[in-house]
Amino acid sequence: MSAMLPIGLTRMSMPLVVWALHFVVVYSLQGLACARALWRAPVAGLETMTWVLWALTLLALGVIALFGASALRAWRIARAQTDGRTETSRLRFLTALSALVALIAAIGVAFTALPVALLPTCA
Amino acid sequence: MSTLTPDHTIPTPGDHLRHAERIALLERVWANGRGLVGQLTAVNHTTIALRFIVTGLVFLLIGGMLSMFIRLQLSWPGLNVLDPERYAQFVTMHGTTMMFLFAVPIMEGFAMYLIPKMLGTRDLPFPRLSAFGWWCYLFGGIFLYSSFIFGSVPDGGWFMYTPLTDSTYSPGKGADFWLIGVTFAEIAAVTAAVELIVAILVTRAPGMDLTRMPLFAWAVLVTAFMIAFGFPPLILASLLLEIQRAFDFAFFEVARGGDPLLWQHLFWLFGHPEVYIIFLPAAGVVSTIVPTFARRPIVGYTWVVLALVATGFLSFGLWVHHMFAVGIPLLALAFFSAASMAVAIPTGIQIFAWIATLWAGKPWLRVPMLYIIGFFITFVCGGLTGVMLAFVPFDWQAHDTHFVVAHLHYVLIGGMMFPMFAGLYYWLPLASGRMPSESLSRSGFWLVFIGFHLAFLPMHITGLVGMPRRVDSYAMELGVQWLNLLSTAAGFVLAVGIVAILIDVALCFRLGRRGTENPWQAGTLEWALPHPAPKYNFASIPVVDDRNPLWHDPGVVEATRRTDGLLGEAVDGRRWIIGTGIQSAQPEQAIRLSNSTWLPLFAALTIAVLLGGFITSQYWLSILMLLPLIGLFLRWLWTVNGRETPLEIEVAPGLRLPTQALARNAPGWWALVGTLMIVGSLFASLVFAYFYLWLNAPAWPGGGATLTASTPMLAALGALLAAGVGAWRMPIALRAGHTRAAVIWSAFAILSAIACLALQLPAIADAVGAPQRHAYGSVVWTLAGFQALHIAVAVLIAGFVALRIHHGHVDAVRSLEARIATGFWRYVVAQGLIVWALLHLFPRFA
Ligand SMILES: [Cu+2]
Repeated sequence: MSAMLPIGLTRMSMPLVVWALHFVVVYSLQGLACARALWRAPVAGLETMTWVLWALTLLALGVIALFGASALRAWRIARAQTDGRTETSRLRFLTALSALVALIAAIGVAFTALPVALLPTCA
Repeated sequence: MSTLTPDHTIPTPGDHLRHAERIALLERVWANGRGLVGQLTAVNHTTIALRFIVTGLVFLLIGGMLSMFIRLQLSWPGLNVLDPERYAQFVTMHGTTMMFLFAVPIMEGFAMYLIPKMLGTRDLPFPRLSAFGWWCYLFGGIFLYSSFIFGSVPDGGWFMYTPLTDSTYSPGKGADFWLIGVTFAEIAAVTAAVELIVAILVTRAPGMDLTRMPLFAWAVLVTAFMIAFGFPPLILASLLLEIQRAFDFAFFEVARGGDPLLWQHLFWLFGHPEVYIIFLPAAGVVSTIVPTFARRPIVGYTWVVLALVATGFLSFGLWVHHMFAVGIPLLALAFFSAASMAVAIPTGIQIFAWIATLWAGKPWLRVPMLYIIGFFITFVCGGLTGVMLAFVPFDWQAHDTHFVVAHLHYVLIGGMMFPMFAGLYYWLPLASGRMPSESLSRSGFWLVFIGFHLAFLPMHITGLVGMPRRVDSYAMELGVQWLNLLSTAAGFVLAVGIVAILIDVALCFRLGRRGTENPWQAGTLEWALPHPAPKYNFASIPVVDDRNPLWHDPGVVEATRRTDGLLGEAVDGRRWIIGTGIQSAQPEQAIRLSNSTWLPLFAALTIAVLLGGFITSQYWLSILMLLPLIGLFLRWLWTVNGRETPLEIEVAPGLRLPTQALARNAPGWWALVGTLMIVGSLFASLVFAYFYLWLNAPAWPGGGATLTASTPMLAALGALLAAGVGAWRMPIALRAGHTRAAVIWSAFAILSAIACLALQLPAIADAVGAPQRHAYGSVVWTLAGFQALHIAVAVLIAGFVALRIHHGHVDAVRSLEARIATGFWRYVVAQGLIVWALLHLFPRFA
């Protein structure tokens, strides 16, 4: 990971990019549902849109989890190395940071999606 | 300056003669010119940054004076200090000045001053761009304030809500002064963003890899990215509103299919991140000062970086919390309410890291630290009322009352002004070589702190009782007159405090006690410099192996002052810096910078005349000014790196580095990336506007006009792709050494692009008609015009590069400019495809 420049910083922010995409898509779909009656038909007791928003949230969380897991794995490997080289300490820093960013992004997505569970699509 | 600087250097044996010579050469190469001309042509980062700071402080005083009038008017019900019209003008100018002419520019000034010094380099990578930014900021501010001379001061509030600011409800020129002046001044923000991103990514001292970067640099890096994505929505909104006012387009007019709420979305899409654009650099200042006075490295470095990055993203998800009361569906409000609360997490992480650092260290209470404590107290209060306002029902209750005024001043003054003063006192010895007077600066602090809290604490109560904001008086029956009188009196105490601080700082430069070096015993690189810092910063570029190099290895101070290290010898009498790898910070390239030049001043002046022509409706003058403007920028680019630049230089005995025209991570390349982020964000805002208008318009497209794919449209698409092929083949031919073929491919791209416009624009005119008819036509024409403008720029670039190839400045080895040109063309083709699909395919499905 550290050998490929500037993948480090880009990879690190990917979970937050996923958060941003999720936010934009969820907000836009909700707007479409209210203004253009998109996917308002009820399915299994809930509006289709609610199901779609849930599915998108799970998808976003899944992608973030993948990023987080790979960062965590890389961090464990970097932590196990004790050669004292600068590259190792840089790798340790970047992987730890990436894992934490994934955690924050997951909290962000969950926070954003929480209202879907509590409110109807348009009110 | 050199007479003030004691020579601490111990040259290596046998080198002392060469040392004095080398220092003299560095002094000469990096000095600004003499006298007034020297000041007008200066581009050095220290000079320009101090100008940003001084100009920002002057605007603080002006904006503060306006607020004194506002407070006088509100001190008792029914006063007539300002009539309602003047009151609206003063409120507008106060907010506008504080946001656009004080808070953002002064933080840029701090960043521009500190970043090269903290990173261990000599200047920012694009010195002319910094100077150009400052002139635009200065002229933009003067432009805005000249509205007082012409008697048409903006009065629509700093948020300029439509339809209040359209030509029906704001006839005169007031709103135009705002839209044009602020956009002019904002050029400084976006140019500084590009400058700082490139500086932090590629010009750090060797060894300063990402884990050793000062937290202030991290904060500025995130802020610069936020500016690149956050300012374009506002710039676009300003352009749309100005186009509507000047040419009668219909973006915000309901009768013709527009929507006034579009303005609010675009404005707050900028406006909320703006709060963090101001706060993050201030947080970086806190993260720098706290470890120094706790006398230990910061606790949780990784966590603080995490918090900065997370804030940078999450703060873009909150804009609608300024619009809770405009009638948006509840679920949408809840998304933004949730995001508003989520952003408290990273802010909390930073606050805990600072407290933990103080806890684990041995704190030392000097003046900068006093301001940091003032910051903690004030900012935490502001944050708490912020979380309260993030709850939709509470916001409905407190909306548009003085509770919000109290909240935003707690956040902005607490979160930005206290850290800014802390930084001012902290770095004063470095800039002036002298120490501020401890007693005067402490009194200044207490006046500001007490004055501020007494002025704004009561506003929480007056707001909850129901005193409205943005209104020039209130009813006696509310019973808040005594609280208001207290606010006004305390406001004057605050003002006296600020004036005292500024006098103190100014006096320090003349009368301060000559300071010892590194008086706070800080660990970051800028303190390795002699005080006051010389124009070239470091005699030798330092090599770094720790986050706090001065604590880790005090020898670094001496090493940077000798001239036998990196770049100690000024090569060929030009300004050089070193470029390093983005992650590893290993030396990669030598970067040659510009000397003093008139170009930035002339370019900004030309823009000022152009805008002056526009606001007075002398459009011929504006169009005429395009010629000198393009000429100046071409001249600017022509003088970057020609064939006279060496291919590599010896930066230290035995270490040769390629110059930037050959390097992969060349500053020019990253400047393109930064610029395209800004342009892309501008374009994305426009696409958002298109969809927003479509979604909210009752009839779309209006007037039965529809634009769908037809034969000329498909031909235009083909021409666009052909242009892309030309731009793609050009550098390939160049690298293979076929310069003639490269020139021909450039010409092919230019002709195809022109053909694309010639096919597309008449077809749009046929199908859509005049842009004034309906918001649909307005937005279609704006999209087409936006794309046409980019094609025009791409054509200019292709012509320029072809000319450079012809003259031998660009060739198979020095291919950077060809790479940049192709990068821009790729973007223009991609954007063209999106515009094409949006204009000609989307109406089929909508
Ligand atoms: Cu906000």
